[in-house]
Amino acid sequence: MPLAPKPNSALLIVGHGSTENPDSSSPYFDHAAEIRSRHLFAEVHCCFWKEEPSMREVIYQIDADEVYIVPDFISEGYFTQEVIPREFQLSGPTTEIAGKTYHYCLPVGVHPSMTGLIMKRAKEIAPDVDPADTTLIITGHGTGLNQNSTKAIRDQVALIAASDAGYAKVSDAFMEEPPLVAEWDQLSPTSNVVVVPFFIADGLHSYQDIPVLLGMESEVGAAASQREVFRHNPHHLRGKTLYYSSAIGTEKLLADVILDLIEDFDQSHKPLVS
Amino acid sequence: MNLTQHLAQFLNSGGHRIGQIEIRSNPANQEWMLCHVDDADKLTDPEMTALEIHRDPFAARDLSTFAADGSYRFTKGQTNLISGWIMILSTVAEIRQALDLFYPAAVGLWVAHAQGSIAVENLRDKLNRQTGMYRSARFISDAGAQELVTKICGPAHQCAKRILWQIDEDTPLNDSEASRFNGIPGKVAENAAIPLLCREACNHFVSECKKVSSAERKAASNTEA
Repeated sequence: MPLAPKPNSALLIVGHGSTENPDSSSPYFDHAAEIRSRHLFAEVHCCFWKEEPSMREVIYQIDADEVYIVPDFISEGYFTQEVIPREFQLSGPTTEIAGKTYHYCLPVGVHPSMTGLIMKRAKEIAPDVDPADTTLIITGHGTGLNQNSTKAIRDQVALIAASDAGYAKVSDAFMEEPPLVAEWDQLSPTSNVVVVPFFIADGLHSYQDIPVLLGMESEVGAAASQREVFRHNPHHLRGKTLYYSSAIGTEKLLADVILDLIEDFDQSHKPLVS
Repeated sequence: MNLTQHLAQFLNSGGHRIGQIEIRSNPANQEWMLCHVDDADKLTDPEMTALEIHRDPFAARDLSTFAADGSYRFTKGQTNLISGWIMILSTVAEIRQALDLFYPAAVGLWVAHAQGSIAVENLRDKLNRQTGMYRSARFISDAGAQELVTKICGPAHQCAKRILWQIDEDTPLNDSEASRFNGIPGKVAENAAIPLLCREACNHFVSECKKVSSAERKAASNTEA
């Protein structure tokens, strides 16, 4: 069911951002623009951990008294469970601070539709390959503060492997822990390999670090926005045909996921929502 | 009164500047023009045709992403906004949308400061709530933090914000060009400009605190050895 308009509410999309790569925040602004064009909210804003406006400052930018906060993050974890609640001073799903009501939604990455979006993205970049002769690799960072994103990727792998997508193999792979994305050819028993980065943005990891690990490039290149075009698929490497997609978060349909998360929030917390 | 109404009141009473942006009205066609302050004298035909024209307030994001030398402007208070463009807008609401991208939250912070409702966070509070990789930033000495303000804040270091915070409740910033700066770059009367306000240390400052903290610990351990 499409989200009913909320003409007195603001939507606040929270992203990580970067002090080094301007492309890191592009998907958040794209998602905001898409939702803004649907005229569902009085205001749609973005804020960031690493860029401006910060979470503490963006509240000064909002007129509406009711604010839906949606973490545009790939998984639950350090940022969604610790940093964002702390920065906004949230005490639960709904928090009232200085006359404003904040509703804190789940992050986009945990939404059930992400599985379909990964499969859609894989099909788009390699439309003519036979899944029976193709390995689908979903890749992320791994280790440290990102343990939940590791789990999120493994969950997606299990869901796609159990689906009727028909891939010969579906595997997880990480930058900093086994199975390593650098060993993508050894992880793939097939001649075709499709790699989908499970990140929100084409930032430092998905656009600059992983292509080096895959062997597509010999050194870390410039940011995506400073290049002429997106990479040309396929790449013939290590005796295989490799297709590499942009980060899953750049998918335009993520705007719908954000709206679904708000609808889900309202359904789960109806007594608290005006 | 909402933020757009506050901005309209400011503009209608003669205000015309925020950061490096000049805002002019064109009564003839009821439009507003925003441009870099260095291009303000070009807002008349035929020179205006030399400027790149934008009519979408959201173009402000692209215009403010890179400096002329190609460096990434991850803090928007930097005084290296590119020139050579003009933004023609129809409403004050659109001006606010553009300004929220050129100078995020600046209009709201200015209104909150004027109303006395801004929550300023002193440096110690900011550093003490850091976790993860920036947790160690909290160990910077007061002297190290004071010196850092003079090294990276203020217009001499390309930041146009007025610092509202102190080291802690009892320790104001030492007097310096950075700590004295009023948040209004260029020569313009204070009542004609919206100042850029720094209500808490930015990520760049926290990141530098971490480096200084690390250097201080190394120096201390070398002394003990």
